[in-house]
Amino acid sequence: MLKRNLFGWALMLVPLSLFAFFVWVPMIRNFILSFQDNYFDQNFVGFANFQAIFADPAFSKAVGNTFLYILFSILIGYLVPVLLGFLLSEVFHFSGIFRVLLYLPGMISGIAVVFLFSTMYGDSSTDLFNVILKAFGGEAHPWKGSTDWIIPLIVLAMTWRGAGSTALIYLSSFQSIDESMYEAARMDGATPWQRFLRITIPSLKATLITLFVLQIISVFQVFYEPLVIGPKGGPLNSSMSLLLLSYLYAFEDFEHGKSAATAMVLVLIIAVFTLAYRLLLRALDGGFKKGAKK
Amino acid sequence: MKPRRKEKKILFPRMKDKRGGFFNFADYRKTSNRVVYGVMVAFLLLFAFVAVFPILFLFASSMKSVAEINSTTYTFWPRQWDFGKISVLWTRFDFGRYYLNTLVYVIGAVIAAVVFNSLLAYAVAVVKPIGYKVINVLVFLGYMVPTILNIFPLLQEIRAFGFLDPDHQSYLTFLPLWLGFGANAYYYMLFRDYFARLPKGLVEAASMDGANQVQVFLRVVLPLSRPIIGIVAIFAMTASYSDFLLPYCVLQQQELQTIVVGIYNISNTNPPLQMPDFLLLILLSVIPQIIIFLIFQRQIMNAGAGKGSKE
Repeated sequence: MLKRNLFGWALMLVPLSLFAFFVWVPMIRNFILSFQDNYFDQNFVGFANFQAIFADPAFSKAVGNTFLYILFSILIGYLVPVLLGFLLSEVFHFSGIFRVLLYLPGMISGIAVVFLFSTMYGDSSTDLFNVILKAFGGEAHPWKGSTDWIIPLIVLAMTWRGAGSTALIYLSSFQSIDESMYEAARMDGATPWQRFLRITIPSLKATLITLFVLQIISVFQVFYEPLVIGPKGGPLNSSMSLLLLSYLYAFEDFEHGKSAATAMVLVLIIAVFTLAYRLLLRALDGGFKKGAKK
Repeated sequence: MKPRRKEKKILFPRMKDKRGGFFNFADYRKTSNRVVYGVMVAFLLLFAFVAVFPILFLFASSMKSVAEINSTTYTFWPRQWDFGKISVLWTRFDFGRYYLNTLVYVIGAVIAAVVFNSLLAYAVAVVKPIGYKVINVLVFLGYMVPTILNIFPLLQEIRAFGFLDPDHQSYLTFLPLWLGFGANAYYYMLFRDYFARLPKGLVEAASMDGANQVQVFLRVVLPLSRPIIGIVAIFAMTASYSDFLLPYCVLQQQELQTIVVGIYNISNTNPPLQMPDFLLLILLSVIPQIIIFLIFQRQIMNAGAGKGSKE
């Protein structure tokens, strides 16, 4: 037994020190830092950093934007991969080519995607979105320069990149639905619509819920989209995210304490969502869990 | 789990050969369902067009001359293909250097991701030394919090170890970036779940035969784990190629920058690069990813499809 313990810890020693260095120590250090004035002087200031960020309009803007990002990413980005997954599972002509084409955007690095879309969203009349708009008889519009459009446009770029790979997850869920259930429904004379509502959707429930929550959590990580397209959370902070704000506090304003306090607020929000997700899973346990364990 | 594989490749399979799935051959005897199929194909074509269009736009626009992109009459394809500027920009920004740096970066990241996460996962899932449950929870805690969030203290740690010296010109500067991939909770969980499903008897039988633990790992577990190693390697490869913020902060010397960091820095130069030229650089950064995808498409898409079944 002793030998087993020693061997186990010997194996874990290096990986654990890596986790300590890259994850745990910075996390703890940031927590302490949120109650200090800055990283180097380390004077404790109580809740002053939190008071300062709550008084900062950029911070309240970023909190509000977080919910806008969630809203738009659900409106624009949530159902498209479900539909794509279904189409990929049903269309059997050129299915391989379709799959490759739809997955392709997911291979492109996030930075390249945001630069590419930033170009298309340009304000001038020779930029792509305005060219298309004019072709349909519209007037040139300041796409990424508009405080109302910037978040939906960012979500559109994220969806373009992510939808194909998410669709493949749904594809495998659609394909793992028991054929005999469909067959039995056909025998009973169920219409395709009834089959869809009674068999397809219930079988997909686990994946639908998991990816719903993962989508919300991924929205908290919005960072270089507003950094590049905004740029820097612009125009007028209308695309500012909490993660980006935390970064800008530390690297542009050198206010490490405020940066850490913002990070702690984000950690709290993520923790609440994660907990809610776990409770939801537990509440829906039983027959539901079988679907999730595929 | 695997996408269905067709036995024989027919360019135009007939509707009456459709087996299984939501609609099958029996459904397609009805005209209304055939119409639905047509609508589905139309939608898929539309989505495929949306997926490919920005890439075509990137390709077409990057080959335009500056004069053309600012002209009032817009054409999608360039009126004059300006291939000559590829070599001009390539030498001006020393693009070979960026590719080489990225290659070195990706290789190191993949090795670190596979080696360290699998070691930890093997210890927790198979060896189970005292305290392994606590470790498992601690690693999961790190999973929910994005690394970027704590990047400032992390950078100070890296600085304290002497890795932020702009005078360092060797690939040793990559070390903290590579090792970062060795502490990835997601890769760890993939390995852990895979090891936990390995047949117990096999591992036990091997250790009874007098093989020591290290040999069990090397001779029994590793050969059985090739699928999961492949999956983690693919994830680490695509993630490290696109990795931005930490390399951006650590690699201050231009000679060591990866392609993504280089592009970002070029975007901030003054005076700014002309749009078609900048798009050409983006295109150059994207081409290796597209080529890799076309070569490994089956493996990459299979790895990606499993993502959602994990939390």
